[in-house]
Amino acid sequence: MKNALGREIPKRIDGRALHPFQGAFGTEPSGRKVARPQKFIGLNENKVLHSIEDAIEAAGLKSGMTISFHHSFRDGDRLVNMVVDACARMGLKDLRLFPTALFSVHVPLIEHIENGVVTRIEGSMNGPIGAFVSQGGKLAAPAVLRSHGARWRAVEAGDVKIDVAFIAAAQADPYGNATGISGKTPCGPITFSAVDAMYAEKTVVVTNDLAPYPVYPFEIQQGWTDYVVVVDEIGDPESIASGTLKITRSPTRLRIARLAAAAVVASGYLMDGFNFQGGAGGISLAATKFVGEEMEKAGIIGGFAMGGGTELVVDMLHQGTVRTILDGQAFDLAAIASLREDPNHVIMDPGHYANYDSRGCSTYMLDAAFLGATEVDLAFNVNVNTHSDGQLLHGIGGHQDVASGAKMTVITIPSLRGRLPVIVERVTTVTTPGEVVDVVATERGIAVNPRREDLKERFLAAGLPVRELAEIKAEADRLTQPPRRPIFGDEVVAIIEWRDGTVIDAVRRVVGWE
Amino acid sequence: MSTQPVKIGSEGKGDCLITVAPSASLKIEIEAGNARLVERGIRIVIEATAEVMGITAAKFTVLDRGALDYVLSARVETALQTAFPEVASPIRRTVERAATARDRLRRSRLYAPGNNPRLLAGIDLHDADCILLDLEDSVPLQEKSAARILVKHLLMALDLPEAWVRINPLSSYGADDLDEVMLGRPHGICLPKAESAADVESLSQALSEKERELGTPVRSTYIMPIVETAKGTLHAEEICAADERVVVVSFGAEDFTRDMGARRTHDNLLFARSMLVAAAKSARVQASDTVYADLTDEAGLIAETKLARDLGFDGKGAINPRQIEPIHSVFSPSEEEIEEAMKVISAAEEAERKGMGAVALGGKMIDRPVLERARRTLRLARLTEEGR
Repeated sequence: MKNALGREIPKRIDGRALHPFQGAFGTEPSGRKVARPQKFIGLNENKVLHSIEDAIEAAGLKSGMTISFHHSFRDGDRLVNMVVDACARMGLKDLRLFPTALFSVHVPLIEHIENGVVTRIEGSMNGPIGAFVSQGGKLAAPAVLRSHGARWRAVEAGDVKIDVAFIAAAQADPYGNATGISGKTPCGPITFSAVDAMYAEKTVVVTNDLAPYPVYPFEIQQGWTDYVVVVDEIGDPESIASGTLKITRSPTRLRIARLAAAAVVASGYLMDGFNFQGGAGGISLAATKFVGEEMEKAGIIGGFAMGGGTELVVDMLHQGTVRTILDGQAFDLAAIASLREDPNHVIMDPGHYANYDSRGCSTYMLDAAFLGATEVDLAFNVNVNTHSDGQLLHGIGGHQDVASGAKMTVITIPSLRGRLPVIVERVTTVTTPGEVVDVVATERGIAVNPRREDLKERFLAAGLPVRELAEIKAEADRLTQPPRRPIFGDEVVAIIEWRDGTVIDAVRRVVGWE
Repeated sequence: MSTQPVKIGSEGKGDCLITVAPSASLKIEIEAGNARLVERGIRIVIEATAEVMGITAAKFTVLDRGALDYVLSARVETALQTAFPEVASPIRRTVERAATARDRLRRSRLYAPGNNPRLLAGIDLHDADCILLDLEDSVPLQEKSAARILVKHLLMALDLPEAWVRINPLSSYGADDLDEVMLGRPHGICLPKAESAADVESLSQALSEKERELGTPVRSTYIMPIVETAKGTLHAEEICAADERVVVVSFGAEDFTRDMGARRTHDNLLFARSMLVAAAKSARVQASDTVYADLTDEAGLIAETKLARDLGFDGKGAINPRQIEPIHSVFSPSEEEIEEAMKVISAAEEAERKGMGAVALGGKMIDRPVLERARRTLRLARLTEEGR
């Protein structure tokens, strides 16, 4: 069947009926949320177990079940491999993984997929695992990709039933309170797993730093936790958070950032109480810095910043340029330290951030946001999931959530990456529909979505280089021979959900080349 | 070709490394990121370039690091010219380049090293008034020929607001540089270490020959002499007046201080700068100040640019795109300056209508120089507005 964007999507996958995307705010939720079973807990309950194997057994994990993880330890994560290795040793098969995201460090999963230990994945796949799954025929059902908000919704709605949630914690107490911001190897908030902890049949907290009761902030709470496992290592500090994120030095990228920041200044949204989402990418980081400088110059005090804590926004908080940071993940050590020290640096979970089926999202409070893309097309549709060669490469993150909510969404992209055009006729995969994308900032000028004539007028009045997206595309296309395009077969290797659980696109297996 | 393979280019970002070896037929091996996507395009560029050059048998091994087509074709041409010096014919293409006005706005001239694809990429995107592609000081000796071919291909591919090439002195590689880069129809040629009218005249003659050969209008290529020696400074007047091709003269402080045995301070350079501006203005050409080398010091750049502007300079050199905006802001008249200038002019017009000889504004006499300055301010304001 075709969805509202004309994308062909399957009717069902894995026995589950799919619903076509009907527009960014095209559906209304109904019914009630699902719930986990009740459980009695007496006084003197001991939750501490001595190994992952013990936890697997105690939690009653069986073949065919679903296990979940968060990605706050990023490329330094040890837990996913530890748990799946243990499952394999214990002879479990046919597991469904429900991680928030997988990284290069999880490459050993490929062997477990080939051996049938893991047969389904619903979660972001960054890098090699995405490339592997894209080959087709690897999983028993297509992978499902969801935004931060959509993942939360899917759990509450019962689209995904988690049997056992495994939650890596930088510090936990024996009663199951856990945090990511303290401990021997802090990683930033672990609230990505809050919904898992609340809804899973069984919740297992795994930590390398068991501390006396009570450990706080309670990102994961005792009332949700069944078991606590202590291990030697939970994450490799080298790969968890960067020392300092580097602002781009490329003149082209700096120009994009300057134009994006100038667009914010000209938009009329930059005033006291300005709320924005930066990010950790080189261009967004630079754009955030430039906007901060403008705010300082004009004496504007922002409301909140979000999009992942970085030293840059922490500096803005300390200087009083923003009043608050709302933080779902921390990208560098300065941000983690600030979460411990600054009362106005507030931990938030993805439900609070972006859940479509909720009574409020922080993303809806955003005035402006800078987001990236692997491709943008002439209808302003954005692809962040697949590469132009059809390979799954990245997760959605908060892309859909932020673009839907922000009054002005600015996609910051170079018009070319090496020899590859970034602005295309039609994106390989739609992650975020053009209806929620307002501005595309490139080194060749700024394109404004025709839905936003108001912004276009303001930009022109401010003397910004406003151009048609097609014009920017043509200029970039003149510099390289067009790349070959993949030919897609029928086999669906992944589906991309929209925030409300409808399907915005399907990723198909590449069967040849034009 | 000799049996030795020829290696051209680099593994730097935006570049490619091309090896050409003898072969009985045309063979191309490509290693690239995103190979499946880009391989065909790379092949098309290589085949087309080889064909135009009349080469039908050679083995190409390409390591691509994201080279754009003009970089790729330049590297292929350099490799083939090196491998088959007798046979390979240089690439020529008709280049349409819109002429620019002699007295256009030249607030900034942005330098880019001629053999660095990474730094050349996007050189046209930073709103610089003049783009200066360098074949001289920033290009090591062994890369001179690759650089002039790369600059030629860049010129053939990009539409630049005003494109200049800094060639090597005519006494070294300057003539070879012209052979290549004139095929790209730059708006002008920068002559480094200009020391006399004769230096300018010999470049002008060389340009006339090239223009005739290429069928472009004779005397259409501008010259920007760079005065950067003691001798050049003392001969600034004759340099500026030597030829009608000269539209702007620029000052090179680094070489000048070295030649003088001086240290670079504002006071130490004041004589040379003043001399150059006076020479330029007496010949009715523009003067452009030297570059500011400390990239991190924007305040220092702005301060030095203001001093240059107040001396009468029309523009300043930039070594990085990030210097363009500060430079332009100094050379663009402020709102107050524009308002003041408009008042001066309307007062003067009023006086003329009434047949009054002299006129005062706010107690100050408006004489000819004041009126001229006001007109200049408004002209700059208009050009700045148009340039946006």
